[in-house]
Amino acid sequence: MKNLNRRSFMQIVKAVLSMLFFIWTAVPAEAQTPASAQSSPIAITGAAIHTVSGDLIENGTLLFEDGVITAVGVDIELPAGTEVVDASGKEVWPGLIDAYSQMGIYEIGAVNLTVDVNEQGSVNPNVMVERAFNPESRHIAVARSAGIVVSVTTPGGGLVSGQSAAMLMDGWAWDSMTLKAGVGMIVNWPNASQNSYSRNLETLRDLFAEARAYRKARLAVEAGEAARMDIDIRLEAMMRLFDGTMPVVISANEVRQIQDAVTWAEEEGLRMILLGGRDAHLVTEQLLAHSVPVILTEVLTSPSRNWESFDARYRLPAQLYDAGVQFAIAGIANPANANRLPYEAGAAMAFGLSEEAAVRAVTLEPARILGLGDRLGSLEPGKDASFLITDGNPIEYATQIEQVYIQGRKSDMNDMHRQFYERYSEKVRQMQQDSAQR
Amino acid sequence: MAQFITAASGRVSLWLCLPLILLLILSLPIKSPAQTVPVEGMMENPPSVHAFTNATIVTEPGRIIRNGTLVIRKGVIEAVGRNVSVPADARIWDLDGKTIYPGFIDPYSEVGQQNPRVELDRGTLSWNPQVRAHLTASAEYEEEGDGRADLRKNGFVAALSVPSLGLFKGSTSVFSLGDEAVSDRLVRDQVAQAASLTRSWAFGFGYPTSPIGAIALIRQTLYDAGWYAAAHERFESNPAGLRRPEANAPLAALRHVVRDGMPLLFDVTSEEEILRALRIRDEFSVTPWLRGSGHEYKLLDVLSSERVPLILPLSLPATPDIKTPEDALNEDLADLRHWYLAPENAARVAASGLQFSFTTHGVDNSTHVLRNLREMVHAGLPQETALAALTTNPAALLGISRMYGTLERGKSAGFVVMDGDLFEDTSKILSVWIDGKYYRVQSEPSVDPKGSWEITSSGGWLDGDLNVRETRPGRLGGTFTHGDTEITLATVSSEDQPRRFRADFAGDELELTGMVRLTASISENRMQGWAEVPGRERIQWSAVRTASVETEEREPRERRARDLQLADIRPAMEYGREQQPEQPRHVLVRNATVWTMGSEGILENADLLVSDGKVAEVGESLRAPRGAVVINAEGRHVTPGLIDAHIHSGVNGVNEIGNAIVPEVRMADVLDINNIWMYRQLAGGLTTAHVMHGSANPIGGQNVHVKMKWGALSHELVIDDAPGTVKFALGENPKRVGTDRYPETRMGVEQIIADRFQNARDYEARWNEWRATGTGLPPRRDLRMDALVGILNEELLVQSHSYRADEILMLMRLAEDFDFRIKAFHHGVEAFKVAPELAEHGAGAVVWSDWGAFKIEAYDNTTYNARLLHEAGVLTSLHSDNSQIASRMNWEAAKMVRAGMSPEDAMSLITSTTAKLLGIDHRVGSLEPGKDGDFVIWSGDPLSTRTRAEQTWIEGRKYFDMDEDIVLQQAIARERELLIQRIMEVQND
Repeated sequence: MKNLNRRSFMQIVKAVLSMLFFIWTAVPAEAQTPASAQSSPIAITGAAIHTVSGDLIENGTLLFEDGVITAVGVDIELPAGTEVVDASGKEVWPGLIDAYSQMGIYEIGAVNLTVDVNEQGSVNPNVMVERAFNPESRHIAVARSAGIVVSVTTPGGGLVSGQSAAMLMDGWAWDSMTLKAGVGMIVNWPNASQNSYSRNLETLRDLFAEARAYRKARLAVEAGEAARMDIDIRLEAMMRLFDGTMPVVISANEVRQIQDAVTWAEEEGLRMILLGGRDAHLVTEQLLAHSVPVILTEVLTSPSRNWESFDARYRLPAQLYDAGVQFAIAGIANPANANRLPYEAGAAMAFGLSEEAAVRAVTLEPARILGLGDRLGSLEPGKDASFLITDGNPIEYATQIEQVYIQGRKSDMNDMHRQFYERYSEKVRQMQQDSAQR
Repeated sequence: MAQFITAASGRVSLWLCLPLILLLILSLPIKSPAQTVPVEGMMENPPSVHAFTNATIVTEPGRIIRNGTLVIRKGVIEAVGRNVSVPADARIWDLDGKTIYPGFIDPYSEVGQQNPRVELDRGTLSWNPQVRAHLTASAEYEEEGDGRADLRKNGFVAALSVPSLGLFKGSTSVFSLGDEAVSDRLVRDQVAQAASLTRSWAFGFGYPTSPIGAIALIRQTLYDAGWYAAAHERFESNPAGLRRPEANAPLAALRHVVRDGMPLLFDVTSEEEILRALRIRDEFSVTPWLRGSGHEYKLLDVLSSERVPLILPLSLPATPDIKTPEDALNEDLADLRHWYLAPENAARVAASGLQFSFTTHGVDNSTHVLRNLREMVHAGLPQETALAALTTNPAALLGISRMYGTLERGKSAGFVVMDGDLFEDTSKILSVWIDGKYYRVQSEPSVDPKGSWEITSSGGWLDGDLNVRETRPGRLGGTFTHGDTEITLATVSSEDQPRRFRADFAGDELELTGMVRLTASISENRMQGWAEVPGRERIQWSAVRTASVETEEREPRERRARDLQLADIRPAMEYGREQQPEQPRHVLVRNATVWTMGSEGILENADLLVSDGKVAEVGESLRAPRGAVVINAEGRHVTPGLIDAHIHSGVNGVNEIGNAIVPEVRMADVLDINNIWMYRQLAGGLTTAHVMHGSANPIGGQNVHVKMKWGALSHELVIDDAPGTVKFALGENPKRVGTDRYPETRMGVEQIIADRFQNARDYEARWNEWRATGTGLPPRRDLRMDALVGILNEELLVQSHSYRADEILMLMRLAEDFDFRIKAFHHGVEAFKVAPELAEHGAGAVVWSDWGAFKIEAYDNTTYNARLLHEAGVLTSLHSDNSQIASRMNWEAAKMVRAGMSPEDAMSLITSTTAKLLGIDHRVGSLEPGKDGDFVIWSGDPLSTRTRAEQTWIEGRKYFDMDEDIVLQQAIARERELLIQRIMEVQND
């Protein structure tokens, strides 16, 4: 019996090892090498600088040191030892922020073992994505080539999915790549057309009542007003929601869900961000009244109801803008298609959103909504030197994203897509040469 | 030895007979035995001559005899008329105030077929359980729980019994619906073969699993039936030297359908299925009957010229759920409209000059049959037509007019007795007579306690007046007055057959304690009863009627006027059209940047002239022909209509997974215009699409090229001179279907394709031998093999789903082994790895802009795929494989500009090259003289994120216009509002 157990244990070990081997071999040999930290001041000169927060600076200079912007403008005095990058004829834009992504926790959709999005059970406020973030993900460099400098990696599933984190799109390991942990607590609002809707909301309210009571007790212990208590790691994780230091990010799309979620967050006194927001245009007054910002997920999609106009989703950002609702555009979570983020914002431009607002929706607005406004979203002194050198607006298709800097580091632009192209262009060349010789 | 046999057989026969005897004994009291059954016990001979007098007799639709007499004798009508004398031996039924109608006939029912045998395991069956044509409704008829009582209650005296399972379900038979033995009720056998266009799920998950497979199997089976008859004839004429052809009972039965004109009765579940049935008729010259779905009003332009027998359902759709405003938001216009229009279906079919019959099949609650019928009459169906659809029409259709359908001398005595007009809401069916036998449906009460009664009682305790009235329909109440005291009765009830009356009241005011309970035997004007009083002796009482209540004529239900004006649109849903857009003789688009996608390249400030739906000229400052529609497109761009090489929208079912090799299935069979995506795709400039089979099979089905002619019928979408194409699939998808289907590895995928190719070569050789010599039995036409031969001969172009480079290479090499070429690889996530090999083979690549990593075989994706392939000389196209992305293919191409392609090359990926890879470049893909006038006017550069399609034209007709779209949106909003309001009004009525 003992032998048998040992044998089956060994089989499991072997199986696990072979799976690990399989995953390891699936990881590209051509992974990009993270850039080293900025060692001397760098000035990008001669470029049209789109600060986003302020005016366009023609023929301007962007100066940054230790990964932080120190000056933006014209006629800037450069400190001694400044490395000058001539970007004449180019444009400089803030790096894009993917406000809703599964970057680093999702590699290959149909290979479950490479996907770390949904934890078991419906209440997981304690799980933190940055701790499971795979810095070797092939999708990181591809997203970066599309101009994304930060992905807000977001867990999914259940009722309370866990905590999202803002992850830098360059670096050796998850700790140094974590720009901000605990960006938001993800709550998936129950489906309002299900019979179990009321019951599910009761569960949610009960959970928050318990968490509130837990916090009260913990504060009492801290203040010496009560005896020691045992720790509940899940309720512990929810404490920050009640002092306003972490927002609750509620995924809701249908009009009932959105309204009920706003009412609930108000009742609970929580800072709420709406994620999804398909029907948000129907309830703009309520969103404004409660200052609820929206992270629109898909824009490049079709309406959910036959009667809605074919462009209902393309027009949604303009509708929110006109109503004065604060919003960001995030697209789908799938990190393999993070490259589509700029086009999600672009689509809104063809359907009524101004160019300025469209760019802000993937830069400054997500930064502000997600509490990253002091670091990202615009080109201003004191913010991270995470920006793009391009030949045009990064959300226009024809634009080439020529160089990405993340916290002052010059990123490797040779992502897997590009490498495949180079490598197999060589195959074409060789074979054409062969047949020409034959 | 002999003794043993006797003993054994004696035992056996006893075993066999016992249940039979039991059955006979048990069934005796409830029904009369068949004519051939020996009498057990006493012979029953009830009188069989009946005269129905003083009745309103509707002898047939439109012929009414007032105050007439109907005489029946031995189950047959002897006389009917105003001056018919009542025979001396007749039992007389005074039907003063009643109306007699001919008995109704249901030409589509599952009476006797509710509990069908699923597994057939005896005899010479078809290989496929869905083919059960040899079954007959008469042999399969199961009396127990056959549902005839429900039909009878609604006035039906006969019904067509339709076997319920399979694609070919078996032949149907007419049964009368009385309580005689089944064998005495069979009116007409083998009336029609029943067929369905969708598979029955009862047989598990085998071929066919989809509507495409179902139609393919129907097609193959009808070919087989013809072949079967021919092969057996040939063999029987001279069997010498021949291998006996297979025996197959279903195919033998279908000979009647393909050779002798036996009708094929299709139960169609949508208007698309009507068209599918008609296409089968066209291919095989069979005689279809259609059991409709209630959506026929959407197809009257087609049906009115078809003269196909129609059987329309008496069912009506459920009311859309608009309980809350949010629920209402989620209701589709198609359902809202159908809710309102379905009651008009029969009226509209009638108004277009078509004859039809009604069926109750599909009415979920049998008490709704007459209600729905009346609703349809209220919606405009003439009463005579409605009655004909229940009587003369089905009788004629089923070939039983000499026995049923009208009340005429010599016909079967089958009729309905009602207490009023059939079409009045308040009228009820009292009885149904079937073959001269009486079936009570509803009794009229013999005594009526309502009215005033004067009570006298022993001791005078209860002397007074009793007043009984109806408090609400079916509920009695009243008062009892004793002296000056009026007491409200607590409960009042009466039972008709026992002739009993009961009432309770609180006796306190009469100084009687507790509840006083009255009970009495009641006759027309008198009651005789006693009262139970707590603490007292029983009080005996009697009452005489002092007044009766005039039964008030119940007001017929006030019906809401049907005053909503809903235009006839196609498809009958959001954004549907009242008619096809007109085609101006000439359309001239002026001053645009024209992307010709031909040798002229991109022309600035150019004009495009489309005449009679074709591109006539592209150039500068073209002369406008007289009467031309001129569009000033200054600042705009014009491109050819976009083409998507790979979509799956607008079809009912995508994959036939019942077999690994299914090139016989055809997507063209299952096009469905009720497809909002088509409109959305038009709005994004898409004009042509290649609608493909799914990827579950190494060799899948045949695809279809369609134009986005929103508002046309499904077959009008098809590009009829496009070459045939067939879907192949390699890699993960075809090997992961089910657990035990071959193949399960990429090795097996390769080998099963090779095997079928070889089979096809052999099949082709057999046919060639037979054609050359004409000796032996004719080979069977096998549609699967035909398709495979077509593939090998490049008449069906291979469009193969693929991911990895190795499998792409494999299929090219395999094709080369069989001496033909693969037309294109779709998805081709790793196509860039074998670009030189693709170029050399001459295969194209149809790829995504940027999909990848959703499975392991898609992990090595690159957005430079199309660019590299193009640079390597491979004909390259983009595709969406996604209904939504298909609506913005210009932006898919635009991504390729970021990947480094020139704008014109990027545009070719969704226009000119796509057309070449699909074999339709003689029609579409560029704006060159002679090509179809399919073009898009864009607000700017079509590859910019700032640009949207303003107009989309197909063959010189404008199918989408940005401004018209706004108007349509407003019209939809208005119509939804009206319909939702109407539902609320009706629900509050």
